[in-house]
Amino acid sequence: MATPETLTENQQLSTINSDYTERFGFHDAENYLYKAPKGLTRELVEKISEFKSEPEWMREFRLKALDHFLARPMPTWGSPALAEVDFDNIHYFVRASERAERSWDDVPEDVKRTFDRLGIPEAERKFLSGVGAQYESEVVYHQVHKDLEAQGVIFMDMDSALREHEDLVREYFATVIPPNDNKLAALNSAVWSGGSFVYVPPGVTVEMPLQAYFRINTENMGQFERTLIIADEGSHVHYVEGCTAPTYSSDSLHSAVVELVAKPGARIRYTTVQNWSTNVFNLVTKRAIAREHATVEWVDCNLGSKLTMKYPSVYLLGEGAHGEILSIAFAGPGQHQDAGGKIIHGAPNTTSNIFAKSISKGGGRSSYRGLLEVAKGAHGSRSKVVCDALLLDEASRSDTYPTIRIGEDDVDVGHEATVSKIGEEQIFYLQSRGIPEEEASKLIVNGFIEPITKELPMEYAVEMNRLIELQMEGSIG
Amino acid sequence: MVSAAVAEPAWLTARRERAVALRNELALPSFRGVPGWEYFDLEGLDLDAFGVAEDNDNAPRALPGIFRVPDDAVDHHVQVDGRPLDDGVWAAGGQAAGGAIVMPLSRAAAEHADLVQSHFGSLVASEDPFVARNEADWSGGAFVYVPAGVRVARPIVLSAIQQAAGSAFHWRALVVLEQGAEAEVWEQYLSDGSPAGLLNAVVELSVGPGARLRYLCGQDLDEQSSLFGTQRAEVARDATLEWVALGFGGARGKVRMETSLAGPGASARVTGAYASHARQHLDFDTTQEHVAPHTTSDLAFRGVLGDRSTAVWRGMIRVDPGAQQTDAFQESRNLLLSKRAHADAIPGLEIEANDVRCTHAAAIAQIDAEQLFYLRSRGLGRGVAQRLVIDGFMQALVERFPAGIAHDAVAGALERRLEKVLGAL
Repeated sequence: MATPETLTENQQLSTINSDYTERFGFHDAENYLYKAPKGLTRELVEKISEFKSEPEWMREFRLKALDHFLARPMPTWGSPALAEVDFDNIHYFVRASERAERSWDDVPEDVKRTFDRLGIPEAERKFLSGVGAQYESEVVYHQVHKDLEAQGVIFMDMDSALREHEDLVREYFATVIPPNDNKLAALNSAVWSGGSFVYVPPGVTVEMPLQAYFRINTENMGQFERTLIIADEGSHVHYVEGCTAPTYSSDSLHSAVVELVAKPGARIRYTTVQNWSTNVFNLVTKRAIAREHATVEWVDCNLGSKLTMKYPSVYLLGEGAHGEILSIAFAGPGQHQDAGGKIIHGAPNTTSNIFAKSISKGGGRSSYRGLLEVAKGAHGSRSKVVCDALLLDEASRSDTYPTIRIGEDDVDVGHEATVSKIGEEQIFYLQSRGIPEEEASKLIVNGFIEPITKELPMEYAVEMNRLIELQMEGSIG
Repeated sequence: MVSAAVAEPAWLTARRERAVALRNELALPSFRGVPGWEYFDLEGLDLDAFGVAEDNDNAPRALPGIFRVPDDAVDHHVQVDGRPLDDGVWAAGGQAAGGAIVMPLSRAAAEHADLVQSHFGSLVASEDPFVARNEADWSGGAFVYVPAGVRVARPIVLSAIQQAAGSAFHWRALVVLEQGAEAEVWEQYLSDGSPAGLLNAVVELSVGPGARLRYLCGQDLDEQSSLFGTQRAEVARDATLEWVALGFGGARGKVRMETSLAGPGASARVTGAYASHARQHLDFDTTQEHVAPHTTSDLAFRGVLGDRSTAVWRGMIRVDPGAQQTDAFQESRNLLLSKRAHADAIPGLEIEANDVRCTHAAAIAQIDAEQLFYLRSRGLGRGVAQRLVIDGFMQALVERFPAGIAHDAVAGALERRLEKVLGAL
């Protein structure tokens, strides 16, 4: 319940925040080492590979993926806005600096200023155990705490990992999401650059979250980072990513591929706070494999972008594995958040939960799209899916498209969804306690998403609440 | 294309011609390629290989049917392969007194041309490969018309029976209730013997302002037949629709059931039950569309699946912009009785108004071990205990409507079907 203290704090919070354009919408002068012309060609793919001095197998992998991408039609489901993605009007590769730096002082001044404004190194100094920052196509800064390195934890950008740990990368790369999985995954596979590579040795627990921050600066830029996390037997790791972009008048594309491998008994939590500006198409493929008694959790918060289509999935392939998806989507004016998750029970006695909360405001549209599948042989599986949606005005829209496929009799699965508006009684109650209507709405919305934000690391939870407040400004009237 | 024995009005002939063109033009939905058809495989089924049955005089055997109620409690009308069994106006028992019309649609098209023309095809559009086939080739059919303020006391039972082997039966029904009218229409699709045919039904239900319609539709086709149903209801201001769907027979069946709540205060309750075994595939596609504000819909489907049978329930609640104070609910529950049975539930919500309450729930499970244990601890054998749990699971649907003749008809139908699927106790 709100007390006068928290109210004051809320008021302070709202004065701290300017709007997105001022906070994240700035863009730096473009002063790049290399910026590819717009459009996707075989030559460009070869050039990216050459630039990065990649082994032959990766070059071939890219070219094969390019063929898949070109051959495949654009999906016709999801959003009509997909048709607006113009693959010929995108810069597929921009290099901002020579190499990934390990000392903050060595990062180019303008890039550093960007991340300073976003508060990244500060966060690292405070409590994060490792941090990577990607600017355009490549990772510009990477740091891991010494003690983690001593334990054998690898946390570096994907390009470096391919150079320094080629065998490890090759063993797992694209094993969870093959290049022909879908059109956007094929595109990423052809032109990927940057992203994180994480390997946690058996039994090692990474106490503090590893963090990555993604930033698009160029107009009509395509960012295609590729992340691969391997948690070896009995290890634990939490990875957090955030993303922003400047506000331009024409659209950019972000199409990542994220693969997680949780070996027996391992635990991976992957948290995303997506806050792209509202001219970014965010079309991302994220998938995890969980082996015996492993746990994979996706905490997926989508606030930004013009259109997000992203359904983090967990394939429970070992007995006793557990998958969890917590999803928050906030769609403001002109935004469509088509998010959700997929869980595939492919082994006996596996369990999963999906909790999704969405808020639509000012004509925004949020859709929950999910799949819950229990394959034959996955007996004793249990799953629960709960989706709640809040509609803040009559111009907004909320959709729920959950699919449940069950091929085994000894299972227990359930799905529930509700769509509602902010209750007048709730507002009235808070108002009768002297809280203004706008403040009351914010409190109710914060309470609505609280079950998920409480799972976020503290700094991100604060950030989430601020972002939600930003989105909520002027929602009453 | 069928041209009726009775001279058909020109507008209807024109519609048939247009439908033939559409049929040749519209591609059949492709498995996994077309939304709504991802889980329905038309592979190996050549719809156009099923010809309309030749005219013949074969009398049908008296089939027990799905709804078993005393003969004098209902008005029963039978059609075999699209041929009405009598030429008379069906409304027997004095029901026509208030001006209600119950007759073959082909006949009504001639005798009540204006009425039929203004409603035929008004709810179901022809631009669909299945509807186009129906419009091109339907014969017989049924027309139920209840004038304003008239209450039809006894249920009107329409039996569409398929007899000719390998034939296509394009059943067409048009039910119109004017303002404040009240009626019950029960439809059953049956096979006489094992025609291994194709039954392609199109049903339009127009429920006028303040009217009340109870519509029961059950299918118990032979298990080599295929069923496609396209059924749509429009419920006007303050009107009420109670719709019950029972899916029992057929090798495969796909029924699309749409309810449009078109006027403020309209409400609909849709109840569906299916019980499958062997390799049956039953597929239901339901839509609750809230067009007007202050409307209510409540949908519940339950299925029991044995052997290698599969079932799909796909349900959509759509709330249009401006349809405030909508209260919509949908629920789908499946009991899987075999390791090889497979169920898909695809509930959906598309909400474009904010002052609404929309909820859905879906669950797929096996028989609750605790319930079984409890019953067995009371000395019941395993088979009996299981059967009791399953009966109870389905009984929950019957309890959705009040005691009376329809309640008993549905309860009896479910009981007989479960016995067939599960075996006698």
